[in-house]
Amino acid sequence: MKKVPLIMAVLTVAVLALFPLLRPEVYYLSFLFTLFMYVVLSSSWNVIGGYAGYLSFGHAAFFGIGAFATAKMATAFSLSPLLTILSSIPAGLLAALVALIVGYPCLRIRGPYFSVVTICFAFVVDLAVKNIEELGGAEGLWMTFMDLPEETSRAIMYEVMLLLMVVTLATVYLLGRSRFGRGLTAVRTDEEVAETMAIPTAKLKIQAFVVSAFFPGVAGGLFAYYLSYIHPDAVFSINISILIVLMAMFGGGGTWLGPIVGAVILTVVNEGLSTFAQAEIARIIYGALFIIVTIFMPDGIIAYFRRWATAQRKA
Amino acid sequence: MDPVLVIQSLISGVMMGMVYALLGVGFSLTWGVMHVIHISHAVFGLLGAYFAYTLLTLYGVDPVVSAMVSTPLLFIVACAVYQVLIRPLTKAREMVVASMILTFGLAIILENLLVLVWKADPRLLTPSYASESWIIGPFYLQYPHLIGFALSLVGISSLYVFLKKTTTGMAVRAAWQNQEAARLYGVNLFRISMITFALAVSTAGAGGISLALLYSFEPHSHNLWLIYLFLVVIVGGVGNVIGTALAGLIIGVITGLSMAFLPYQWVNLITFGLLMVFLIFRPHGLFGEVG
Amino acid sequence: MGKKKSKHAFLLFFLIGVCLTAGLPASVLGAAKPIVIGGSLPLTGQYAETGQWIERGMRYWAEEVNAKGGLLGRPVEFKIYDDQSEVSKAVTFAEKAITVDKVDLLFGGYPGTAARAVMAVAEKHKYVYVSMGGHMKSFQQGYTYSFGAPPLMGEWWYEGFFQWLATLPANQRPKRAAVYTINNPVGLSLMDSINRWTKKLGIQVVINEKYNAPLADATPLIVKAKQLNCDLLFSNGFFPDGVTTIKAAKALNYNPKAIVQGIGSVIPAWVKELGRDGDYVFSGTSLYNKLNYPGNDKLNAYVKKKYGLDGYPLYFGFGYAWMQTLEQGVRGANSLNQTKIRDWLKTHKVHTIAGPMTFDKNGLPPPINFCTQIIDGKVELIWPKNIRTREPVYPKPAWK
Repeated sequence: MKKVPLIMAVLTVAVLALFPLLRPEVYYLSFLFTLFMYVVLSSSWNVIGGYAGYLSFGHAAFFGIGAFATAKMATAFSLSPLLTILSSIPAGLLAALVALIVGYPCLRIRGPYFSVVTICFAFVVDLAVKNIEELGGAEGLWMTFMDLPEETSRAIMYEVMLLLMVVTLATVYLLGRSRFGRGLTAVRTDEEVAETMAIPTAKLKIQAFVVSAFFPGVAGGLFAYYLSYIHPDAVFSINISILIVLMAMFGGGGTWLGPIVGAVILTVVNEGLSTFAQAEIARIIYGALFIIVTIFMPDGIIAYFRRWATAQRKA
Repeated sequence: MDPVLVIQSLISGVMMGMVYALLGVGFSLTWGVMHVIHISHAVFGLLGAYFAYTLLTLYGVDPVVSAMVSTPLLFIVACAVYQVLIRPLTKAREMVVASMILTFGLAIILENLLVLVWKADPRLLTPSYASESWIIGPFYLQYPHLIGFALSLVGISSLYVFLKKTTTGMAVRAAWQNQEAARLYGVNLFRISMITFALAVSTAGAGGISLALLYSFEPHSHNLWLIYLFLVVIVGGVGNVIGTALAGLIIGVITGLSMAFLPYQWVNLITFGLLMVFLIFRPHGLFGEVG
Repeated sequence: MGKKKSKHAFLLFFLIGVCLTAGLPASVLGAAKPIVIGGSLPLTGQYAETGQWIERGMRYWAEEVNAKGGLLGRPVEFKIYDDQSEVSKAVTFAEKAITVDKVDLLFGGYPGTAARAVMAVAEKHKYVYVSMGGHMKSFQQGYTYSFGAPPLMGEWWYEGFFQWLATLPANQRPKRAAVYTINNPVGLSLMDSINRWTKKLGIQVVINEKYNAPLADATPLIVKAKQLNCDLLFSNGFFPDGVTTIKAAKALNYNPKAIVQGIGSVIPAWVKELGRDGDYVFSGTSLYNKLNYPGNDKLNAYVKKKYGLDGYPLYFGFGYAWMQTLEQGVRGANSLNQTKIRDWLKTHKVHTIAGPMTFDKNGLPPPINFCTQIIDGKVELIWPKNIRTREPVYPKPAWK
């Protein structure tokens, strides 16, 4: 990163990290927790979906695997709060392992067919969890609360999710600028050409898929603890999978900033609209946002402003 | 295993699968020809269902008649939607992605308009024959299933004939196989795209009405329908009209057989799992993309 | 050039517009410091229909309370968020209501999964939470601030039906049951009373299957039940799967002695959409519009006038009844202190349209259940016997 943007990024993170010291109301911490979570989800999705151009529509599966793994570990071994939070890391590894196993056959499939395989995959995981009582089944799992004042426990979850977001963004940033990232872009541009250039496309894709599954897995673990009761419908919903894709694409797929911008705008607008007097009208406005932005910025917000900036410079 | 149970499950499963195929065929076409993934496709199906519901409850109009009437109406609506919303997207770098985001927004808008007009309450399309059967020996052919099945056959084959036998249809296929060449031969791509889109949406109306004969529906039902659409279209091969119909049959057979042989708890899981395996081994759908 | 500028201007205008409307605070009514009751309901998305009925019930209660001079001398008003039928949004909005809006009281949400998650929030923040709850398991988590008043308790749901069945001479009772259950918290909780009572009454459970929504086809279910001569059918599901099952039962001319439907038949659409085909279906409920407790007539008259319905829908009543409980808690404690309200509720009797009730340490009243049957397109009360509105029709007449 160039100096100025790097300083800005560090400052932003510092301000966010210090925010709980102002003793804000719990809701703001929770809201930002969800916002960070969506940044994590859409940024990690971006590694496989944006950079490599493999649109996974089943990313909620990894999120949910992380959530249920953490919840299961926490309830089975009655883990302390600290260990529960830490257990989201092995949960993320489990999600990554699943991605490795599933990715191997699935990533040979291209284009829309890949998207649909991932949809099927997400359903299979969802239904498997619902059918297996040991995992909580269709009843879901309850977790014990942190034995701390609500302000403190929410602040802890907030800081942990912020940390996860920073780690995710840093990883994605570095990956995007590495040979790995360039290889992925080559895969997106033209996979055949990339292969003839001796780029190990199969390996790159698997690696990208595993990375893009790990962080959502960890996020899922934290989310489970945040909700303290989880049910498959709350984490495996196809709406979450779709939302992740839309956030990344809305901001601009394949760019580092795109998913961040998309996740922030959509989360803020959606939350704000919920206070709107008539719920249906709020949803209609939300829908119109997608239409207007796509018509005027068909390649995402980032691409639009980049083009605009270049035009300004020329003029 | 009891043969009556197996055959009966197969019969209703296949008819159900074909109904999904009718809703899916247009979705397949817009995707294959125009590279538009039309997320609001199933909402237009719902629109057809509500249209038929209103005509039936207010004037006693048979859903089959409504399906006929809704087709040209939706065609006109879809032309307008194309001109206003879809056409501006042709300048997008990735049409597939842009169209998906845009029509996702459109789906939200339409769904909530449906709530405002018809309320969120679930509805049923119940003509006099809604739960009657044609009984042949030990087998029951349910009229709603039969009618949905028939509508599907008529709808899909007329679309097929249109594409194969008419000049416009041939232009559509030409445009889809080679856009550049088609343009050189003076094919107006915008006009062709508009016709394709409108045709697709008008079959959605009939598809929605057929589905409404089988299931209850409410404004958010399109989300569920959409998942099945994706499956039918992908298994059949994107843009492949006959493939879509065959995919409907196959999904019907899988559902029917698994319901006959397996605990119900595992039916949906097996269906999605098998589809996943199918796709891994036949990565371009069972029947390829062109047809 | 100018065209381009105006395009930019329009875009900017639109984005700002969206942000502004999104950030607008809800209009605050003039009256002197109202009591604000906040929370979220699924007003759009999958559970919109139920969520909207709950809202209507609550608003009717508020209208009534305000007309009578309010609560503790202050008018009441709602702060309702739309959680879009998502559990995680229900949680954040509950927190928003509690910590940002600092509402005086919290109201109950829907469905059971959301209620389960919000019960945890209410407990953490020590807010009284009166709702339908999330079935027995959610009331066994040691929460002290949650009340089911009345709850929608799957475990009790068929109690009335079986009590009535037990009064029949043994040779008239069904012998073989087919049980089809939707695989979610509601469905699973319904198994409780079925397991207990079928044993007690010597009814053999021949088929006991779960299915995951969506139920693509009910034909095989019915064929199986018919082949195995099941004369009692439990369709433990929601409206969409319940309707699919009933339609298949008629189409395949399957005539058990009784059909029992889980949750689907309690919503007005069952009678309205299915018509005569929905007749003779049994179901349970913990609240019912023909109950003889004060208030029911008034509510029925109101929905008749406003929505043209005979009898209020279940969730309209729930919304109203939960507010009644909360209201009495506040009046009883004569305070908005949550712990005082909770303690008052745990030690006193409240009177709701679902009848008088007291609460145990888990926040539950003693089991409440009424058995209903749909007869001639009307939901009739058939058990307990002393409040019966009509004689049950049994065995079910053949389809016509």
